[in-house]
Amino acid sequence: MSTVAANGTPAKERKVARKRPFWTMERRDSLAGYLFIAPQLAGIITFVLIPLGLVFWYSMHEWNVLGARFNYVGSRNYEQLLSDPALLEVLGATGIFSAGLVVFNLSLALLLAVLLDQKLKGITVYRTLFFSPVVVSLVAWTIVWRFLLQNNGGINSILLLTGVEGPNWLRNPTTAMISVIVVQVFKNVGLNMVLFLAALQGVPRELYEAARVDGAPRFKQFRRITLPMISPTILLTSIITIVGSLQVFAQIAVLTQGGPGMSTTVLVYYLYQQAFQFHRFGYGSTLSILLFVIVAVLTFVQWQMRRRLVFYER
Amino acid sequence: MASVTLSKLRKSYGRMDVIHGVDVEIADGEFVVLVGPSGCGKSTLLRMIAGLESITGGEVLIGDRVVNDLEPKDRDIAMVFQNYALYPHMTVAANMGFSLEHRGTPKAEIAKRVKWAAEILGLDEMLERYPRQLSGGQRQRVAMGRAIVRDPQVFLFDEPLSNLDAKLRVVMRGEIKSLHQRLKTTTVYVTHDQVEAMTMADKIVVLNGGRVEQIGAPLELYDRPANKFVAGFIGSPAMNFIPGQITASGFAADGALLPLPEAAHDLPPRPMLYGIRPEHFALTSEGLAATVELVEPMGSETQVTMRLGGTPVIGAFRERVRAEPGETIRVRPEIASVHLFDSDSGKRAN
Amino acid sequence: MRGELSPGAKVAIYGLMSVLLIPFVFPTWWMITSSVKPISDIFAFPPDLIPRRVDFSTYAKVFELQPFARQYWNSAYIAAVVTAGTMLFSSMAGYAFARIRFPFANALFMVVLLGLLIPSEVTIVPLFQMFLAWDMINTHWPLILVPIFGAPSVFATFVMRQFFIALPAELEEAARVDGLGRFKIFWTIALPLARPALAAVGIFTFLHSWNLYLEPIVFLSSPEMFTLPQALTQYTDAYGGAMWNIQLAAATLTAVPVLIVFIIAQKQFVEGLAHTGLKG
Repeated sequence: MSTVAANGTPAKERKVARKRPFWTMERRDSLAGYLFIAPQLAGIITFVLIPLGLVFWYSMHEWNVLGARFNYVGSRNYEQLLSDPALLEVLGATGIFSAGLVVFNLSLALLLAVLLDQKLKGITVYRTLFFSPVVVSLVAWTIVWRFLLQNNGGINSILLLTGVEGPNWLRNPTTAMISVIVVQVFKNVGLNMVLFLAALQGVPRELYEAARVDGAPRFKQFRRITLPMISPTILLTSIITIVGSLQVFAQIAVLTQGGPGMSTTVLVYYLYQQAFQFHRFGYGSTLSILLFVIVAVLTFVQWQMRRRLVFYER
Repeated sequence: MASVTLSKLRKSYGRMDVIHGVDVEIADGEFVVLVGPSGCGKSTLLRMIAGLESITGGEVLIGDRVVNDLEPKDRDIAMVFQNYALYPHMTVAANMGFSLEHRGTPKAEIAKRVKWAAEILGLDEMLERYPRQLSGGQRQRVAMGRAIVRDPQVFLFDEPLSNLDAKLRVVMRGEIKSLHQRLKTTTVYVTHDQVEAMTMADKIVVLNGGRVEQIGAPLELYDRPANKFVAGFIGSPAMNFIPGQITASGFAADGALLPLPEAAHDLPPRPMLYGIRPEHFALTSEGLAATVELVEPMGSETQVTMRLGGTPVIGAFRERVRAEPGETIRVRPEIASVHLFDSDSGKRAN
Repeated sequence: MRGELSPGAKVAIYGLMSVLLIPFVFPTWWMITSSVKPISDIFAFPPDLIPRRVDFSTYAKVFELQPFARQYWNSAYIAAVVTAGTMLFSSMAGYAFARIRFPFANALFMVVLLGLLIPSEVTIVPLFQMFLAWDMINTHWPLILVPIFGAPSVFATFVMRQFFIALPAELEEAARVDGLGRFKIFWTIALPLARPALAAVGIFTFLHSWNLYLEPIVFLSSPEMFTLPQALTQYTDAYGGAMWNIQLAAATLTAVPVLIVFIIAQKQFVEGLAHTGLKG
């Protein structure tokens, strides 16, 4: 047994300079890392970043496929965008749709989650049923609602049984917008509901017990404990829901085709119409840029709000 | 089996050096414990031997092979982790046989070796269970089983007992020790618990701040600590340090004159620390006067916190001390067990 | 807030939940029952909650008017390929970003996350031009490649990364000592343990692909290439009016199988989705 003192010399004097192999452990691991992300990264570059660049490029061109024209026009599409009389209507519809959707979706999701968080028999059955529209094919769901919302459809028939004459839902600007929002909320609120439910169940029981010992009534417990504790989930779901609301297309296409008039023509639908129905790819690209900017700004703003609104982060 | 040599071993993360040139020689079949406070670099050192951390400078040799750039799998080592790291989706048998499977061992041979290891560790009945169905001690045994089926050249243990309760820790300590006596495989064992180090090791390496403070057999470290750090780290309760100066008549501390061993009288009259372990005080009527501050009966011994002149010290006595705080008792340090350390460098002086 | 509830409160909660349930359950019920009503009963007043007469001939018409079986197969195989591909490539990327240290990992992750800001609706025009140039219009390639590799997969990668970050590092170190290389660690240790996250990603991806609507109507033009969502809207009469009972029968055929799978596996569905990196 050879013992070496703390500051002593090693027992064997050996040459330390050795040739290190090129493929050290770190290098091999780095290579593995690059190989693992390669498919995804290549995909993002090909199907997201290059197309994004192309959208900018196209947006500076007048491009009519039917006329086979592709002319550089600089900022003219953007000038047209600003003077487009439809734009205000489209943005208005988009704003009302997104705001209505987020408010209705989040509050309903939270209400359902709180109800499902109770210890009651058969609660899983309710949970399953509330969630079920999420797995129903989107277009199938929308078709049924369109059927229900016909002037002589199921909803008005039921209203008539109670003596109320319902409106022609999809033919009136206000009720059409309400319909589009409501149909979309019932379809997808289950997702947010489940996320809220998981968050509620993650709140430590002791906090409620402490609050009860302190004599806080239930509604106060909800406001002072539950809401702050689940605020990260509220933020997350609101980001997902807002960004998701800007992508809603199928529901509008099937339910209202943007009508009546332009009352439910949201930005994505307008973009689709301009590019693929009127074949104005240049202007469609300009609308794409507008959509991108809106999504980016909203995400950024919400991310910034995190600091002020989220009381608690893991 | 093989020896392990660490030579001028260094590790840095970016600009931060965490291991500053460590030299350790571990003989074939030896049980070596790396011990030190948290952040001393002991786990990093072990992981460098395992190949889980890259080596910034110096060399690690297993046998006479430099393994710096070898993958862990090519170093012929087995490791037991702090949280056991059992694969949750595999049975006990699959966990233990997993490494052999990846070395192309025939199935029959794997089964034989797993059975052998399970018998040694008393796991025969558990082979088809999953880790979540096992108690903490059983998981610990599976982790050890996984290491021994391989019959590696070196066992590495990274604080393997720190997740067990105090009673089970004592049992497993004994099991690991007897396993080593049976298999005689070179073992490097990391712990922050000096009791584990003292009871298990053939040789202890005390680390502090990424440097080796002292290497030696357990009792060597206890009897002749090389510096103040080792003196304070090894032994519980910790050694008392009384600042003062050597004079012709003894060690002059604040308000007390302590007896010195013969040889110490020749030391230069410099500021020193007078080190005395609590168990090396004796109760005697002609001793030094000490004011009692706190009496803690432990059953087998009684610990007394007292003031020797101006310095608070702890004494541990076999006798049952019945003194109230404020009373005076008389104690005498055993001269043969007095350690003197240089005040500035902390190095041993006698 | 899971305190004990009084009997009165329990009744109130059951009542409230049952009323709230109507818009979630009734449409599906109405879809199924209406699909077997003769066309003359479809708008009958007062409405029949249970069909008075049952007529299955609409289901035959579904297959007569369009190559519906073919369209069903298109949707099913596209969704299957997209789900399998996304699960593989997203878990690989998520694993690497979570567990492997390599230069520029964070910067590259940011690049990938950009996909969350750029939904495929934004890039639909250039994607159309790209696939036109590659001669892939009216093929299923766009519906397969873009979801697996493009923006929709980023969310999956993010969920997988969140999961792998929480996986104990010691497990992988033990595997390295046991003799496994990176790929084997990923395949035999990390991936089997990621089953809950993978299930969630799989479900999301499947539903996303199954529901795609804008992409099919942009990229596909012939009925035998159509996917289900697109096909459903094609059951119209010569004036463009919906052939309601046939549309509803096709919708039922589209929705009910997935619903049945969901009801059988609802626990995995709901809890899988809830217990991913999404918890916040």
